[in-house]
Amino acid sequence: MEPAAKSGKFSIPIGPQHPALKEPGHFEFSLEGEIVTSATARLGYVHRGIEKACENRTWIQNLYLLERICGICSHIHALAYALGVEKLAGVTAPPRAQAIRTLVAEMERIHSHLLWLGVAAHEAGFDTLFMYSWRDRETVMDLLEGLCGSRVHYSANTLGGVKCDVSPRHSEAIHRGVDFLEGRTRYYMDVVTHDETLLGRTRGVGTMSLDQAVALGAIGTTARASGLARDIRVEAPYAAYPDFPVRISLETTGDLLARFLVRLNELLETYRLIRLIVDHLPEGELQARIPRRIPEGEAISRVEAPRGELFYFLRSSGSDKPDRIKVRTPSICNWSSVLVTAIGHKLADMPMLLAGIDPCFSCSDRSVRIHKKDGEVEQWSWEILRQYGIDYYR
Amino acid sequence: MNEFVLALAALMIFPGGAFVLASGLAFEWIDRKLVARLQNRLGPRWFQPLADLVKLLAKEEIVPDGVHAGLFKGLPVVALAGALTAGLYVPIAGVAPAFSFPGDLVVTIYCLSVLTLCTGLAGTNTLDRFSFVGAIRTLTQLFSYEAPFLLALLSPAILAGSWQIAEIQEYAQQHTLLILLTLPVSFAIAIIGLMGKLELPPFDAPEAETEIVAGALTEYSGRGYALFRLGRDVELVIGLTLISAFFLGGLANPIEFLLKTLGLLVVVALLQALFARLRIDQTVGMWWRVGAALGLLQILLLVILKGLGLL
Repeated sequence: MEPAAKSGKFSIPIGPQHPALKEPGHFEFSLEGEIVTSATARLGYVHRGIEKACENRTWIQNLYLLERICGICSHIHALAYALGVEKLAGVTAPPRAQAIRTLVAEMERIHSHLLWLGVAAHEAGFDTLFMYSWRDRETVMDLLEGLCGSRVHYSANTLGGVKCDVSPRHSEAIHRGVDFLEGRTRYYMDVVTHDETLLGRTRGVGTMSLDQAVALGAIGTTARASGLARDIRVEAPYAAYPDFPVRISLETTGDLLARFLVRLNELLETYRLIRLIVDHLPEGELQARIPRRIPEGEAISRVEAPRGELFYFLRSSGSDKPDRIKVRTPSICNWSSVLVTAIGHKLADMPMLLAGIDPCFSCSDRSVRIHKKDGEVEQWSWEILRQYGIDYYR
Repeated sequence: MNEFVLALAALMIFPGGAFVLASGLAFEWIDRKLVARLQNRLGPRWFQPLADLVKLLAKEEIVPDGVHAGLFKGLPVVALAGALTAGLYVPIAGVAPAFSFPGDLVVTIYCLSVLTLCTGLAGTNTLDRFSFVGAIRTLTQLFSYEAPFLLALLSPAILAGSWQIAEIQEYAQQHTLLILLTLPVSFAIAIIGLMGKLELPPFDAPEAETEIVAGALTEYSGRGYALFRLGRDVELVIGLTLISAFFLGGLANPIEFLLKTLGLLVVVALLQALFARLRIDQTVGMWWRVGAALGLLQILLLVILKGLGLL
């Protein structure tokens, strides 16, 4: 082991194995005393090659693969993909299917935001709030299980529609669950805005101004906490959002407290939306027919995942398999905001800052092609990679 | 000969030694269980602290490269010994302290600090970065709560006019109401100071797992870690005994001991579940700006009242 401090500069690694992060990512903070003077991130520990794998599978098989990009926002990946493929094929899912897709997406948002609330509280050392919010999250997971048959990978989508229907019994259970969760969320709102110890860890910490948010390309809840009104559900409504408009939740202070407030307010808005959808579900078919071979062309599909804008690019060559699928997940857009706002803060704030953007590491990991200065492009073939692996562990 | 046997029994079995260790484990379980229930968790089974201890003692102790091996292995022993020594001067289980002499209050407080000091030294002894930051925080915290904690425990001593724990306790038994009425501030500071000493939440910045893994004890495993944990359990019992003896009207018998210390433990557990972790700068600021100032004011008030002959 290297001596801790060689040159007076002291660096603390967080990750790839660290109790603060339950996923592998490596962050190195240089410290002077407790103050962070520089921050670097290294990702890529869980690259899975999903984009490439998509090219070997049929359009319908990819639905299952892409849903597994993320264990928290699984539905939204499948939704973005399904909407893109339908656009390519010139098919529109029936209104009832679109409403159910929106319903599941909003329920997934509840699940994701409550999960984030718990994680953020844990990073602040407030384990009571962590346990409480995760207990309440079970409610929405049970509702999703009742609706789709699974707690995590709901698999509600199919190309051209949805696989599950909302029965009167479901809608009654959803109403009950949402009523309970609304009460709990108002309580958490009270805790977050009034607990002095938690406020001491969130107010004025990690402040990102509106200009910074624009310059760093922040998206989703992180951007909305800085007053940047970006929400795909409002800007370019998809699925059933044109019929069930969303009120954007916005804060202007840009600190961690604002990120708490944006997400909690968004939860309250989500409860309103879910009640509205359940009460006004359009009647009709659940699926539209879609061809096995998707016509040649390119399509872009954008949706608002719980963490921000999720972007899909699809290209078809007219076969039963996609030619290229490109996924840009929201986490990757927000990393730079953490590294910039970290400087000048205390080490104790770092886990909270990292958690503040609600990061998803496996979403962020992708292979990178390095262009060297002399214009040479280094690309490793499968053989080189394999040999590297053998040599590394020898 | 008989005296020697009695002294040995006091050291090894009761009230020191085995009894303190056993009650330490029991108190740890009650604390963990209470916090867990407050946090809507199930919590450990009653023998879990003992099971943890046995498991840790049986595990291999890994001495990392670059440390002073003697210090690495010796510090946990010294820490536990310090805590156990303190147990000899306090009225554990409501019986008179095993040993008593004028000024033993200062010795006891000193012995209670040995554990923290050893934790800090253990952290700086290893090359690990998390340990090092944890050790700095441990020692910073030591310097922040120690003075207010001492001031808080001194105020009943000033009232009683003695620095001997047994005498202060006797005074507390006779003047329960007076102490309850005049020393609520010292009482609060003493409880919170004890939580700081034991690095319980919200004062757990020195071992904040989301920042610096396990703080100063990151490199410890097996026996050393077990002894540090045991030392902390012992300190919990002794601290609670001391505070209830001083501020809650003394400990006349085992039943009073149980009721009062467990009552305090419930308060401590509640405080642990209520707050988010304080940053180390917030901890230090709180102690020096609020804790020390209030403690000094309390002492000043007592001295003036005593000087005027009102107490």
